[in-house]
Amino acid sequence: MFPMHFQLLQACLLLLACLTTLVVGTSNSSTSTGEHAANFFGRHDSTSGHTNNWAVLVCASRYWFNYRHMANALGMYRTVKRLGIPDSNIILMLADDVACNTRNKFAGSVYAEAGRRLDLYGENIEVDYRGYEVTVENFIRLLTGRVDPSMPRSKRLLTDDRSNIFVYMTGHGGNEFLKFQDQEEISAFDIADAFEQMWQKKRYNEILFMIDTCQANTMYSQFYSPNILSTGSSEIGENSYSYENDNDIGVSVIDSYTHYVLKFMEGINKTSQTSMQDLFNSYDPVKIHSHPGIGSDLFHRPLDKALITDFFGGVAQAEVFPSQEDACLIGHHESGSTSLPFAPESGAPSLPVVTSPSTLTVEMHVWDSQWKEVRKWFSVFVVGCLVSWVSFVR
Amino acid sequence: MNSAAFASSGLKDPRKINFERNWVRRAVLASYWVVIVLAFPFWWHLTSIERLALPTSQVRTQVQNNIVFPITVHFDGSFTHQNPSIVSQVHTLLRDSATSEHERWKGIDLRLRGADDEEAFDSYTVVLGERTSIAHSRQLRVSETDAQSAKRLSCLLSDLIANSESSISHSQRIVQYSDHYRLAFTLLHENATPRRFVETWDVQNALAEFVLPLLSKLSVLHNFTVESQVQYHAPLAFEPKRIFLGETEVSGLTQEDLTVFINSAEWTLSSSVSNDPVLHFVLFVPSETHAPLKIIDGEGRPTSQNSFLLPQWGGIFILNDELDSPSSHLSQDKLEPVFRNFAIQLAALLGVPPVPLGLSVGERPILSDWQLDALLRRRALQNVQGTQDTLYSIVKLVDQIDNMPVGQVVRDDILDALASLHEAYRAAATSPAIALRWSSKALSVASRAFFNPGMLALLYFPAEHKYAVYTPLFASISVPLVVALIREFMA
Repeated sequence: MFPMHFQLLQACLLLLACLTTLVVGTSNSSTSTGEHAANFFGRHDSTSGHTNNWAVLVCASRYWFNYRHMANALGMYRTVKRLGIPDSNIILMLADDVACNTRNKFAGSVYAEAGRRLDLYGENIEVDYRGYEVTVENFIRLLTGRVDPSMPRSKRLLTDDRSNIFVYMTGHGGNEFLKFQDQEEISAFDIADAFEQMWQKKRYNEILFMIDTCQANTMYSQFYSPNILSTGSSEIGENSYSYENDNDIGVSVIDSYTHYVLKFMEGINKTSQTSMQDLFNSYDPVKIHSHPGIGSDLFHRPLDKALITDFFGGVAQAEVFPSQEDACLIGHHESGSTSLPFAPESGAPSLPVVTSPSTLTVEMHVWDSQWKEVRKWFSVFVVGCLVSWVSFVR
Repeated sequence: MNSAAFASSGLKDPRKINFERNWVRRAVLASYWVVIVLAFPFWWHLTSIERLALPTSQVRTQVQNNIVFPITVHFDGSFTHQNPSIVSQVHTLLRDSATSEHERWKGIDLRLRGADDEEAFDSYTVVLGERTSIAHSRQLRVSETDAQSAKRLSCLLSDLIANSESSISHSQRIVQYSDHYRLAFTLLHENATPRRFVETWDVQNALAEFVLPLLSKLSVLHNFTVESQVQYHAPLAFEPKRIFLGETEVSGLTQEDLTVFINSAEWTLSSSVSNDPVLHFVLFVPSETHAPLKIIDGEGRPTSQNSFLLPQWGGIFILNDELDSPSSHLSQDKLEPVFRNFAIQLAALLGVPPVPLGLSVGERPILSDWQLDALLRRRALQNVQGTQDTLYSIVKLVDQIDNMPVGQVVRDDILDALASLHEAYRAAATSPAIALRWSSKALSVASRAFFNPGMLALLYFPAEHKYAVYTPLFASISVPLVVALIREFMA
């Protein structure tokens, strides 16, 4: 009987090898580290340097019992709008099935607190992607700009290299994924790749990525493009909990993390000088019931210099123009610069500072892909062992 | 067990059963394998991603190339007669400036010629004149005193030819290049109470008089669509400061207020019918309680300025004049300062270089050919750089992201962009306007390739997911097939 078994085993292994070569047949990228380091961070200097603000707010779940996710997104929508981002620059992706749900006792309203003092749905709300349009594909297309030519302006992210983008996501998620409407999921890799493509096409100046879901901090762990500041509601292995129920509505109305962020935002107005550091300092793991995370290693500005209104606000600057002094100043400056032919170049001294973090990430990248390779072959080995074990037992 | 035993036990001998005969069994087995072998190429084709090879090496060489505009400045005979060495002095100064400010002089190949050289067809000329001014097309008149100083001359020439965008605020306000722009002119009443109410405005004539000349000059760069509207209720989102100046009371806008002046939540300033970038120009009529609405400086004193500019967005003019109530019509005369102002703001937003200090513009004050050429060169250079960046990033991303499909359309667009880029390089020698047109085409085609909807990378699946999908499906089918095959060979 032994040779028979042996041959069976051999055949099985052969088959497995065939399958794995098919499946594994992926090659690794070969980006040279030098150009990576040179491109990293190096677009603008210490100030934010943006002239327009955009917001992408995604509620990735649907159905009545996920009322709170809709309320999260609408709460953020209200805040960014109040702080001055025009509706044309806000992309709201919302299943939008709770306001007019038959189970909603308060038809046409969405509330984010138990007292029902503030109707978030209101009169002036513009949902850009609604219902079944909220898909992973549409979200990635929106970010990368690869939309159909017939897509209307309101569904496009028409950003440029002077745009600061606030991306907020909420829904049910897990380790490195977020579920979209109970039928598909987006992984941290997808978002990281989309952001990289945006960076390559100069579609943003800075991004604030905020996510409220279970194990949210894993979602920004794969980012590798510069100028992204990210924050999430909970660590790996942790759940994000809802904040409170409303007894008349009958379901939870808002998530804890979002509730405290929104509460902090209520104290901010359009000209506020409050920084992102202040927001992060306001996080209290005891109250939120999870440990919010901050990912600032890809962000080049100090957090106490990055204003909240850089991401949530409208316009950053205005200049009185045309004015006589303006013209004088420009003329002066130019004649000054020509008389000083060897003025030191401002870009030069920042170079050694930026190289160190980027080489680090490149090394991490290499190590990461090696680990993936190991994982791949280990799983092949395990399956092979199982098959051989089964055939021997028989 | 032999056949006799089968017979005695009442069972049929398996070798005698029709479907257990050797050739039938082999045919059945073979048919399975034939189907699998034949289906394999289909499966392979259907599950693989179309990734056509991109012209990578061409892209890499084009990225190295740079657009170069040769410029010849011709010094008039009367000029050099006075001071023969002036041309070489100016030349040295300009060369120094070119080496120290590389970014500013990028793409410009400047040549200076004295009187004895032959005059080229469309070169720039410098002649002696009564006062320093820009005369007719591409001619610079220099006064006697200015003509003595090589430094002053080199300064003027470098400002005219390669305007520097050194200051951050200056470069920030310029909008990104686009083929089409929409200009939205809005007459906005804070609230249309009788004394602060403009029923009609002579917008068409005002536009034709003050803005259209500029637009027609800039039409080599962009196409413009102009729209206008009147709105009667546009509340401010904040309360302006009250300031008492002796007996009169005015409202003041601080620098901070200016940044939040636009109440985007409640004002509708432009329609969203197309994807073209919009530049907004707002004539704001403050309400009776807020009039007059002044911009105040850092020390809280009202200034005489009535207008301000939001970078890359547009301009705002605050109408503080007393309105004569019976007519409630803004005539062309009254609109003149407003629209002159809008024209200046529009020029600044589109990156028209300012006229250097101490230089008067001749009979055509709108836009001199020096400025237009400088703008054309700058925009062409930006477009070329944008195209190079886009093409390079496509190649890089396709290399980096394994799941990204590359279809025929994308490849054609990239080839098209490369060809346009090549044309732009060639045209730069003769005409900056043609070079700009090619560079603009190159940029739009390259962007179209980048934004091709088919370029969407498949969603990320870790290797474990693939095993999880393929193993239950194929392992259970293949094990009996393989085993049967082996048995057949062993028998």
